[in-house]
This record gives sequence, C-alpha cells and structure tokens, in this order.
Amino acid sequence: MLLDFDRLGALRAVLSGIAVLVGAFLLLPVIVIVLLSFGSSRYLQFPPPSWTLHWYTDLFNDPDWLASFATSAEIAIVVAIVATLLGLMASFGLTRGRFRGRETLRAVFMTPMVMPVVVFAVALYALFLRLQLNGTFIGFVIAHLVIALPFAIISICNALEGFDKSIEDAAVLCGASPLEAKLRVTLPAIKAGLFGAAIFSFLASWDEVVVAIFMSSPDLQTLPVRIFSTLQQDLSPVIAAVSTVLVALTVLLMVIAAFFRRGKPA
Amino acid sequence: MSTTAMAFPGNRAVTRRPRRVSGFWPTSPALALLIVFFVAPLLGLLLRSVLDPHPGLQNYAEVFASTTYLRIFMNTFIVATVVTTATLLLAFPVAWFLAVAPRRWASLLFAVIILSMWTNLLTRTYAWMVLLQRTGIINKTLMSWGVIAAPLPLINNLIGVTIGMTYIMLPFMVLPLQGTIRSLDPATFRAASLCGAGRLQVFTRVFVPLVASGIGAGVLMVFVMSLGYFVTPALLGGTSNMMLAELIAQLVQSLLNWGLAGAAALILLVVSLGIYAIQFRFFGIRAAGEVE
Amino acid sequence: MTRPFLSVQGIEKTYGAVVAVQDVTLDIAEGEFITFLGPSGSGKSTTLYAVAGFLEPTKGDILLNGKSLLDVPSNKRNIGMVFQRYTLFPHLSVADNVAFPLRVRRRPKAEVDARVAAMLKLVRLESMADRMPAQMSGGQQQRVALARALAYNPPILLMDEPLSALDKKLREEIQFEIKRIHNETGVTIMYVTHDQEEALRLSDRIALFNAGRIEQIGTGHDLYEKPASRFVAGFIGNSNFFEGTLSGADRSIRLPDGTAIRGVSLDRLAPAKEDVAIMIRPDHFRLHDGSEAAAMLRGTVTDTTYLGEYTQLAVTTSWGAPLSVRLPQHDPAVSVQKGQPITLTCAPSNVRVF
Repeated sequence: MLLDFDRLGALRAVLSGIAVLVGAFLLLPVIVIVLLSFGSSRYLQFPPPSWTLHWYTDLFNDPDWLASFATSAEIAIVVAIVATLLGLMASFGLTRGRFRGRETLRAVFMTPMVMPVVVFAVALYALFLRLQLNGTFIGFVIAHLVIALPFAIISICNALEGFDKSIEDAAVLCGASPLEAKLRVTLPAIKAGLFGAAIFSFLASWDEVVVAIFMSSPDLQTLPVRIFSTLQQDLSPVIAAVSTVLVALTVLLMVIAAFFRRGKPA
Repeated sequence: MSTTAMAFPGNRAVTRRPRRVSGFWPTSPALALLIVFFVAPLLGLLLRSVLDPHPGLQNYAEVFASTTYLRIFMNTFIVATVVTTATLLLAFPVAWFLAVAPRRWASLLFAVIILSMWTNLLTRTYAWMVLLQRTGIINKTLMSWGVIAAPLPLINNLIGVTIGMTYIMLPFMVLPLQGTIRSLDPATFRAASLCGAGRLQVFTRVFVPLVASGIGAGVLMVFVMSLGYFVTPALLGGTSNMMLAELIAQLVQSLLNWGLAGAAALILLVVSLGIYAIQFRFFGIRAAGEVE
Repeated sequence: MTRPFLSVQGIEKTYGAVVAVQDVTLDIAEGEFITFLGPSGSGKSTTLYAVAGFLEPTKGDILLNGKSLLDVPSNKRNIGMVFQRYTLFPHLSVADNVAFPLRVRRRPKAEVDARVAAMLKLVRLESMADRMPAQMSGGQQQRVALARALAYNPPILLMDEPLSALDKKLREEIQFEIKRIHNETGVTIMYVTHDQEEALRLSDRIALFNAGRIEQIGTGHDLYEKPASRFVAGFIGNSNFFEGTLSGADRSIRLPDGTAIRGVSLDRLAPAKEDVAIMIRPDHFRLHDGSEAAAMLRGTVTDTTYLGEYTQLAVTTSWGAPLSVRLPQHDPAVSVQKGQPITLTCAPSNVRVF
C-alpha cells in the first residue's frame, strides 16, 4: 500500500508537497538566471528594471568568449571521436576476450570516473609540466580523453553485450573475414551504443571544469574555464547570457534524445 | 598459429593447436592511454609526496599536525556530511513520489530533475552566487518581509557552499533511489499488511530495509563526491574556510608546494577509494557508476 | 572403395576435464541428408560446430574430398549454416541478407542480383525482398536464413536445430520445405535435432549421439528395428524394458517370473553376460490365443484408453513391472477390462536383448 499512490492518505499530500517544492527549488534558480540575462541591471537586481539584449550582443561580439566556445567545441569533438574509437576497441576486448583479470581490467577502466577529479588534475598537471603539454590542444584532448573513456566504454559494452554474437559468426560463415564481419554487421547493429558513447564523451569534455583549469593558458581557455575565472572576479550578467545559451543547448539535447528514444522501433 | 602434425586420410591423427590468450589486444591502446596518462601521474604524485622536498613522510606529518590543515579537513568532512544528510532527506520523498505518482506528474518532475542534472555545473553554481548575494533576491525578500534586519551572510562561507552543493547533488541521490523504489514489488507490502503490520511498521520493517541498498549507494556516492568537490566550494566559499580540493589546487598553483599537495591529494584519494571499496564489499558493483 | 565426400575422423573435443565429444567417426556421401540426433549435451552440436570451424577439435580430423578442413579458417570453408536463432543481419533487408555472402566474395552485381532472385524463388519469398527481418515471422526468417546459406552454392549445409523455435504446425511446413529444397538442389545436409520424429521424417541416415559418442549410425529403419544398444532402443520409438536372465546351456532368456522366451537373437550380446535387459515395443504385443507361443507374458490390465487408431493398455506383469501395450482395434485384447488378467504374446524376432 505504500507504493499505491491513491491509498497513501495524508502521506499523499506530504509527498506531493515536497515534490512540488523540490521541483521548484531545482527549477527556479535556473529560470532566474535566464530572466536576468535579459535584464538591464548590471548588478543582477531581481526583478530587473528593464529588459535588454545587450548582454548577448556583448557576448557574441567578444572575440575571447567566441574563442572559448570554439576551443571547447573543437576539443569536445576530437575527444568524442577518439574516445569512441578507443572505447570500441577496449569494449571488444572486455566483452569478447578470454583472459585472466578481465573483470579487474574493466574496473581499472572505470577508475577515472570514481575518483576525485582534482587529484587527477593535479597529477596530470605535474606530468604535463615536464612534457610541456600544458596549454596545448593535444594536452587538453589527452586529459579529457582519460575522463571521457569510462563513459564511452560503458555505453559500448552495454550495446555489445546486448548483441547476439552468433549474427557475427553467421557473417563469418557467409565468407566475411572476422574484421569485415565486425565492420559490416556488428557496428551497424550497435550504432545506438556508439552514438551514446560519442554524445557522453562530448558532454564529459564540454562540461569539464577542474582539469581544464589546470590545463588552460591565457591563450587557450575552454568555455568553463573562462566562466570560472570571470566568476572569481565578478558576477557579470554576461555570464547569465552564457548560461542561458548553455541551458538552451541542454534542452535541445534532451529534446533530441527524447525523439531518438521514441522514434526507435522496439 | 601453426599445426604440428599432418592428418592422413584414414588415420586417427593428432592435430594440436597452441592455446591462445585470446582477445586481449584490442584493449591495449586504451590501456596504454590510462597507464601513461592516469596511473603514471598518480604514482608520480605519490612519489612527490614522499620525496619532495626531502625523502620521508614529513609532508604527511605536516598535514596532520597543522591546525590550519586539520580545520580544512574538518570543514570538508562536516560539509560533506551535512550535504549528504540534507540531500537524502529531500531526495527520499521525491524518489518515492517519482516511483508511485501518476505518470504525467512523475514524468514532469523527472524531466525537471534531468534538466537540472544536465545543466552546466557552473551555471547552477552561478545561479546560487546571484541568489545568495547580500543584495540578492533571498536577502531582499527576507528583509522586505521583515524577517531579518540586515542581510544574512549567505555567500563566501560554508553555508553558501552547503546550499549550493545540496542543490547540485540532489539529482544524483534521487535517480538511483527512485530506481530502487520502482523495482520493489507491491505484493511484498500487501503481504506484510496481511500479516498484520500497520502502516508505520510496514514502513520501518519492510520499505526501508528493501531500499537500504539504494540509500546506501546514493549516500556513499554523494558523500565521496562532496569530499572531493572543487568548483562549488571555490566559488561559493570564502578564502578563510576552504575545503580540501581548493587547498590542493592552491598548494599547487599559488604555493608550488608539490610535496604537501601530493600528500593532501593522496589522503583524499585513499579516503574516497576506501569508501567505494566498502560500498563494493557490501553493496556490490551496481552503484559505482550508475549515474547516467 | 571410393573416397567419401565428407569424412569425420576420430573427432574429440575436451574443455579441461570435461569431454564434450570423443571418438566421433563417420563418412558422409555427397548429396546425403544425415541427422545428428540425441539428447541435450550429447555432443551433436559440438561436432557440427567443429565442421563449421567455430571450434577446434582437440583430436581428429575432418576431410572434405580428401583435404583437411581444419587448417581452413571458418570464412573460407565455403560451408552454409542455419542456426536455431535465425541470425539474420537486422540492419539489412531480406535481399541484402541473401546477397551478403556474394558481396563479400566480390561477385559482380548482375550475378549477385540473379542469384538472390533465384534463392528467394527457391524458398518462395520473392515478394519479401525488400522487407526487414524484424517485419517477418519466425518461419519466414528461417527461410531467408536458408536462402542466404545456399546463395553461394556450398557443398555442405549445416543446420543446428533450426526449427526448435517454431510452433508445431510451422515446423511441419518448414520440414517439408527443407526436404523439397534438398531434393531440388542436391546439397549435402548435416542436420542437428533432439526431435526423433523430425529426424525420421527428414533424413537418409541418422547418427544417434549419447554422452559425447555416436551410439549407432543407420537409417531410421535400422535404428528402430535393430537398435545396437539399450540407449538407442529407448531413444527411438516407444519401448518397454524389463530385467531377465540368460540361463542354461541353451542360453534361453528367462523372464523374472520364470517363463522362458525361445528363439531370440543374441548376437549383439557380450558372451558372458547373465543379467540382461529385455526390450519389446508396445505395438508388438498381441493377445495370446492359446496356441503354442515362443514368448508369453502374464499380467493384469490396470488401465485402458481408446485412442482412435489404436487402444493403449497399461498392464502390470505378474512380477510387478509396468508394461505399455498398443493394440490395433481388431485385436481381441482391446476388450479386456480394467482389473482383468491378460496374457500377451509377441514374435521372438521382435524381442531385443541388451
């Protein structure tokens, strides 16, 4: 009966009330920011005295901000591609391989996801100081690759485990070499997993803050780093504009993901 | 791969093939990446913590002896505990609601939670920076209602940090919890009430034990994340009450004290992995990584 | 003797301490339809997979036209195979599925198209060329799998329990299709099943597997009328087993109640054996009409069931063993009531001893 909503009695009002409050709690701050991005107050008075778009024009005319958007996007795209590729190979090894320590290896691959990022950031920063990779594009890509890889592996391993290997065997029997069978039959069949891996890797890199702070240089700043360093000094409404753009992208992504899930045949 | 004997027609020949360790090599590029750029740097950090500036454990001694550092550990621990508790208290009813409410409302709330979780961390932290300012909405509203006379210091201290982190961690606690509750079989509860248990008893003796693993997983995950969190405490907290992650960053960036930074980082790492190890031992590997 | 088309020689496969198959030897003629029959885990699929190249035997060899197959990788063996779970490529249409093996062999487009059309005609699915596998029923998917397996004209077609996933009526339909295709194409078929009726219906010969070995190879008639072992007798067709003893210098068989059965062939038996298993099929019994008989069994009827084509009697023998008897409707025994005594007889040639 505790799981039957209609029979909860007074508890029903309590649960619903809390749910509404928490929903509002989660939603309102973001809405406030979106509204403030259109407000004219430099000091983020709420409600704003009047409405304006000039924070957005400031934002889109500022070469530094645009450069950061571009940098983040470029790094994230490269990371998405490479992580998916490496993740695909690793997943084949993890799901099909027969060797001792396979499960341990799987746990090792997951480690970057479960440890405190700042520890990894600091450690990698030290290494990159030696290799002079700090502030370089490739350094960023490598750092984000380590972070994104577990997401790619999880997504692709799931897809591979749900795939019936005898279909691949049938392709081999039909005359395809093992590699050809994978390319022509297995990969198309797991494309949802590959897609998921790319998307999650992209997002992992795009949103990543801590490692990026250490990797950045004055010339090479990802978007989160620029936001962070601006925020350390002042609460400019331009950040509100940036935030709104990011929120809009998130909503877009959620809508696309929902479409995909609904449009897929069972 | 080679054969060591030929088969002749009509003969029962022995054809032996060497056993292969099959399927390991595709993992090698990813593994190489991890070893060079993940494991090696961590080992390097460990080494620095015991070699820099002189070989020995002085860095660790210094960390544990200094009142400043101990206070930072305390702050971090307390904030993590408060955040975890607050998150749990809020997340449990919400997860329960999500699991039992009619689909329309549940889906709506679910979408709000997912949106919150996917919204950029900095955006969410910024929102609270704006709201909690001295001249921000919260203070203004409270003052205009006459609840307070002067603006409350809600930012640049651990209160702001706690509020901000609870906000951010909430979805991470709600999602696994609602999954656990949803997987419960209502028949179990009906059976319990048929056996004579009253509402409260069903709650304490059936409901809570059954969701215990989901609660345990969520609690441990939020706690560990809070211990190592950097961004929100750095932005919402003040310099006088730093938390551990910011200390490590400062030791490296401003003070260039690699030995101490390494020691502090290793302590954080060991505690985090230790807690996960406990969770793995008691709850299995399900929970680690069940974020998406 | 001419060289056999496909020769399986002494195949053994072990996984550590577990022996999946051993000592599997048989020769298959070109164009033959041979079935591997047996209970689960008896090694029939293992042997099939060794021929396909999915596993490497730990001992033995497989020769196709005198050349060893074991050195040839799976994708070069040019063997067709149909699986229990259809295993069609889900992202390709029916026509593309059938065309796949030809495209992989880089055949020219015209040849591919012609062959695909011919194969779809063979399995009677020409109208479905553009459908996706997910839109087709199980039976149709299996027929596409068949078309795909035959597209490149393989010398051998392997079929691993292809009909187990289908319901009975569909199964019979597709069995008919398989038989027809076998007649039309003349391809050599190696078929695995645990269903003896299917084996009897489809095959030229049956190899009966038990616990990793072949117990007997022969036509359905051979296995039914002259089973080589107790296992074969019990697996194929219905049977009644009871204990008996060999005694006397004349080596006559004695039933537990002392009656003797004379004239039974003993040639398959080990010479020193004294305790034997006696097997008589339910449909070989008749009511004893009082005349001199070589074999007589006394008992009591415990149940009688009218089944249209025949009547089934459940009888308990005078020494307490259960007996299942199947009688044609004209036999006077069908009117024996429950609880009444009955004496049955059967021809000595229908008595098997192990």
